[in-house]
Amino acid sequence: MMMPSALDDIRVLDLSQGIAGPLCAKLLGDFGADVIKSEPPGGDCARRMPPFFQDDPDPEKSLAFLLTNLNKRGITLNLGCAEGVALFRRFAGMVDVIVESFPPGHLASLGLDHASLEEANPGLVMTSITPFGQTGPHSGYQGAEIVAYATSGIMAISGTTDREPLQHGGFPALHEAGFNGMLATLVALLTRDLAGCGQHVDVSVQDVVTSSLVINQPAYSWCGGVQGRRRPDGSLFGQVMPCKDGYFICQEGGSATWADIAAFFGRPELNEPRFADPAQRVANGKALDAIILEATRDRTMAEMFRTASEEFRILFGIVQTPADLASCPQLEAREFYQEIAHPVIGRLRVPFRLWNMSASPARYQHPAPLLGQHNAEVYTGLLGCTAAELEGLRQRGVI
Amino acid sequence: MEDDGAQTTRTGTATTRPPLEGLRVIDISNVFSLPYAGGLLADLGAEVIKIEGPGRLDSTRHNPTSGMHPDNEPGADPWNRASTFNLLNRGKKSVALDLRRPEGREVLRDLIKTGDILMENFTPRVMRGWGLDYPEVVKLRADIIMVSCSGFGREGPYSQYPAQATTQEATHGLTDATGYIGGEPSKAGQSFVDFLATWALVMGTLLAVRYRHRFGKGQWVDVGMYQLGCFMVSERILDWEANGRRVERLGNRHPWRAPQGCYRCAGDDQWCVISVRDDAEWAVLCRVMDRPDLAADARYTTTAGRRAAHDEIDTIIGAWAAVLPKHEVMARVQAAGVPAGAVFDARDLHADPHLRARGLLEMVQFPPERGIGRRPIIGRPWRLDKTPLSVRGPGPILGQHNREVLQDLLGYDAARCAALEQAGIMGTEPTKLRPLVPLSMDQRVRLGRLAGWDPDYKARLGIEE
Repeated sequence: MMMPSALDDIRVLDLSQGIAGPLCAKLLGDFGADVIKSEPPGGDCARRMPPFFQDDPDPEKSLAFLLTNLNKRGITLNLGCAEGVALFRRFAGMVDVIVESFPPGHLASLGLDHASLEEANPGLVMTSITPFGQTGPHSGYQGAEIVAYATSGIMAISGTTDREPLQHGGFPALHEAGFNGMLATLVALLTRDLAGCGQHVDVSVQDVVTSSLVINQPAYSWCGGVQGRRRPDGSLFGQVMPCKDGYFICQEGGSATWADIAAFFGRPELNEPRFADPAQRVANGKALDAIILEATRDRTMAEMFRTASEEFRILFGIVQTPADLASCPQLEAREFYQEIAHPVIGRLRVPFRLWNMSASPARYQHPAPLLGQHNAEVYTGLLGCTAAELEGLRQRGVI
Repeated sequence: MEDDGAQTTRTGTATTRPPLEGLRVIDISNVFSLPYAGGLLADLGAEVIKIEGPGRLDSTRHNPTSGMHPDNEPGADPWNRASTFNLLNRGKKSVALDLRRPEGREVLRDLIKTGDILMENFTPRVMRGWGLDYPEVVKLRADIIMVSCSGFGREGPYSQYPAQATTQEATHGLTDATGYIGGEPSKAGQSFVDFLATWALVMGTLLAVRYRHRFGKGQWVDVGMYQLGCFMVSERILDWEANGRRVERLGNRHPWRAPQGCYRCAGDDQWCVISVRDDAEWAVLCRVMDRPDLAADARYTTTAGRRAAHDEIDTIIGAWAAVLPKHEVMARVQAAGVPAGAVFDARDLHADPHLRARGLLEMVQFPPERGIGRRPIIGRPWRLDKTPLSVRGPGPILGQHNREVLQDLLGYDAARCAALEQAGIMGTEPTKLRPLVPLSMDQRVRLGRLAGWDPDYKARLGIEE
């Protein structure tokens, strides 16, 4: 018998598109919820996002879509017609959670917002994840990864002072919003367990990213300090430095002393007060950089990472590439990757396990669904449609 | 700020209590990730008892790079006045206990017996060395939820490696993805993976709480920051695995849309980002810039064309934006339905009417004797319309709840508490502090640690005494 999961009594309807909402729903699925992803007949916009498997822009081969839609069944539903809206109301009476990412006000205009649905299903939790949230003067603003980075305060402190502020690579803001959507949905579910009622959960991507500014924000409210970007002419120590085959970052701190750092680099002159004393180190940054760069010119990332971490217990990072991460023994040991068998893509190892839980861990159940793959199963099994009715829905473009 | 920061509660509907009321958290945490998770659990209603050693304070109490003092005045007890510490550890109780000594660990064992959740972020060998790893903790309280956070997690070849977010961002692949076009890989502007860990820790805890409600069993939640960071570059990993491609660093450009960039605006170090999603939005942006000629220019009508001409398009947009205030650029472009965002610094975050209306920053009132007044801090980035939540108080004074917890909760008598105090196992004064290097605000600006500062920040925030 399958071990019980924390959310195996929960059914989720995922109406969201893109990255943040789908990731939230996928995480609920990882921990046991039955997640039904409902896409418009044209599919989630993420199906058109690169990268694609073998660079084939087939909507079933988007790897971006695949990543955030594991552990879901997939249906199509056209909310642009009255019949589709009526079907959605039936679903809303049968699910515990709806995840959505429409512009604020869109579901209300269809009579499908939480306030309209909760009478029929008082336990319904609806989680809305949008760029600027449901309320406030900018709630109608358009979002993008870089817009969240700009308006959250983090971009102003990234990059160097001689250049423009710099976003981080990939889509971290949207992933962070997906995490917080899952977190807040759990808060609502625990509340429902205790108080019986569902509710509307409002997650703003801007609020999420701003929440990580735990040094920057109170530096202002404690003493008016405004952080900026790094000066390009300062020492590189503690920043990214080159070595034989790539780059590394070494920092002082943790249980290691400055003498440990000097020993690791094999340069006793680093113990001189001009480097060892943090107050003098800034003024001697160029000399410090020269010594370290000379000491690491012929050393590899892998060797330095191992030696610094194991023998000297120094805080040390190496700039790993996707290829490094694909073959990382630590990720292997943590079972980060999950092998999936996708009906179109075939077998593939995908990033999956985010943390461990001894009794109710994340479990892989399905690959990402093909567009409408589970229409028959869901519309007949859950809503009780007959095969003829299903065919009618299909012909009328409702599904 | 308090007034317009109120929770948006739907009128006429009942509200619920915070869902973790009645749960007790024993929080032995340090620095950012786990302390912040504990702070959020306190917001959610849990009683959170933070344990620090008198000789091993949470580093944010006395780390010059992660904490400012009110009005830059350290005061007599700087370790109780640090900004980031009070944000992260809001609403907690504090017990200062030396866990390196067996008598201190005895108190911890008694606390664990009364606790629902035990949180720790030592390097994995430490709790094991104290006989307090999960199998041992279960013997003290059978249904305990233990939550551990470490750099790499409990197993694997890197498990015992020292780690902190600012070096780990390289190892987990973010640094390789970040940087100006044609330039070197670049570090994030601050800790990055810590906050992913914070949210993962809260998610793991809430899942375990629900599992315990349903099935009566505790469990061990083990978060390794590294794999959370790696997940952020998942599509790059899959692009490598499936296509053998290594995507170059894109600066502020978008992997498939164009144009996207960060453009200088009027004023000193003022910027606004713009991201055009499709051809129609390009035409709209041209109209906003009053450049119908560009909209008609066949070189720019397709995404492929705009990507090929990205440099020259950046020059055009940059020339338009350069004479406008950044808020004006954002407002004009957004009014036309195209994504744009002014680059906010800390001053802007506090003044932004939208963040104010949403109440992300919450005012925390310190008791008068702490001499800190009231200060806005980051609350939570989610609103639940029937469960009003708020920060329940500032971070605690070191050892503030020593006696309360040991006597009232554990039933120790006064003599036993006094003995622990006399032996230096429990206290309210740090026995080891990092030396304080006093720097004026102007010196901080000269050294590049701050871009600037506002002497009138209290008036701007409405927090004058």
